[in-house]
Amino acid sequence: MDRSRIIELLARKLAGEANSSELEELASLISRYPDSVYYEELLGQLWEESPAENDLDMDTIYQKHLRKYAADFDADLLLPGTYPDEEPSTKKSYNAFATIAICLVALSSLLYLTKRTVAKTDTQIVAGKGVRKNVKLPDGTMVWLNSDSKLSYSNKISQQKKRIVHLQGEAFFDVAHRDHQPFIVKTDRMCVKVLGTAFNVKDYALESSSEATLLRGSIELSVNERAQQKILLNPSEKFALVEGRSKKNGKAPRSADMTMTIAHVLPITIGDEQYIEETSWKDNTLVFKNETLEELKPRLERWFNVKIHIESSQAGSYRFTGAFKKEEIREAMTALQLIKPFTFKLKEHDLIIY
Amino acid sequence: MPETSPELTELTSRIALYNSEHAYEKLYKFLYPGLHRFCFCLLKSKESAEEAANDVLIGIWRNREKLTAINNIRVYAFVMARNLCLNLLNKSGKQVFVSLDDINVDIALKTKNPEELLINEELKLKLDQATSALPTRCKLVFKLIKEDGLSYKEAAAILNISVKTVDAHLVAAVKKLTTILQLEFNLID
Repeated sequence: MDRSRIIELLARKLAGEANSSELEELASLISRYPDSVYYEELLGQLWEESPAENDLDMDTIYQKHLRKYAADFDADLLLPGTYPDEEPSTKKSYNAFATIAICLVALSSLLYLTKRTVAKTDTQIVAGKGVRKNVKLPDGTMVWLNSDSKLSYSNKISQQKKRIVHLQGEAFFDVAHRDHQPFIVKTDRMCVKVLGTAFNVKDYALESSSEATLLRGSIELSVNERAQQKILLNPSEKFALVEGRSKKNGKAPRSADMTMTIAHVLPITIGDEQYIEETSWKDNTLVFKNETLEELKPRLERWFNVKIHIESSQAGSYRFTGAFKKEEIREAMTALQLIKPFTFKLKEHDLIIY
Repeated sequence: MPETSPELTELTSRIALYNSEHAYEKLYKFLYPGLHRFCFCLLKSKESAEEAANDVLIGIWRNREKLTAINNIRVYAFVMARNLCLNLLNKSGKQVFVSLDDINVDIALKTKNPEELLINEELKLKLDQATSALPTRCKLVFKLIKEDGLSYKEAAAILNISVKTVDAHLVAAVKKLTTILQLEFNLID
């Protein structure tokens, strides 16, 4: 009976669950049955043995984990070449290998960085504010670059397995079809993959929403924050990604604050003509439908290369529908004045609405 | 135990509030061995156990915004691992319904340096045989408390049983071991 009680108390003691009175009871029982010290000793030994976890190389396991779920982590932290193949396998030789490993890491990251910048700066096309450009890439793809946008690609783009271009701002692509060379547009927030098609991508750093609009063909799109989720667009569909919160301290906002929508693109009829709002800019037409002046502001600023200051909140909330073709800023503003009453002052590149 | 629970709470809040990958790495390295062991004794495959443990941990990272609502991240991780493993076993279709009681768990005692210890390989085998007859939950209790240093309360939450039952299981497992030790070392009753 007592032995049974001793074991019971020993079990609790080993588990760290014995209270003080139980510990006292155990001590007195052990002193009464000195042989029971063996149990304590033997059980203690059994208990102390740690399982084989020391064999686990946690650094390697964690690196593997990071690679498997790379999309979930900040990609910049994962430089190629730092992988465990080059890492020491035994702890004893760790120090000896550490220096080599560090050199490898430094070297590979250096290579990686130079490679990346070279790839980025091979050819860069910039359209400033108030300017729109039309270029043909070496592979035959036509690109219209909207105001205040930047497009960069490698000179060898037509020989590469994947034709990758980097875009900041807005551009329309009419991609030359090549079966085994997908065309990929990368922006800060999205990645669009296509074979041959015509589509528009818009991702201005200062705007909370990014968009992709497809005219024909099909595209596969993924949001950088959720890389494994692929979205397929059909012709005349528009994908929009809206970030709920403004960027703080340059840190990417959490994925839960994003809204993704897919909508149909319908032509807008203004006067006698039909326009597609998302892509008409490439035909030198700025189209807007039922938008407030406040919403229009960034587009007007880019289009006319002006800085707009809206000092009257009433004017800011006026809604406009219309299309501008060759109008200059003064003509455009005078036209808007015919729709809603407001006054403006134009001074070089500053437009004040009051 | 390598880490006390205030430190774990600190890690989880750093993950939840600051998206700290560094904190996640620490948490990962702390939780992985135990989770891997736990999954291994349910799944019986090293690869599946690795995958399950990784799935549990990436699940924690993906749900990091909700981590602040969780009191005990270790228990949370083990419960996730338990559910994941049972789902996997159910899906594999070998049994219509798998509950913890249907799984054969090995306690598998290990000795670091048998020569220095009183417990040699032969005795270890005897101990393993003796404990193999214990019920599954009893063995799991023993493993969680002994190998992972979990408390009664934590083990109870993970295995979905009461604290009293955890105590009873642990005492039963230890008694089983002592009956073997008693015979081996001719200890008095």
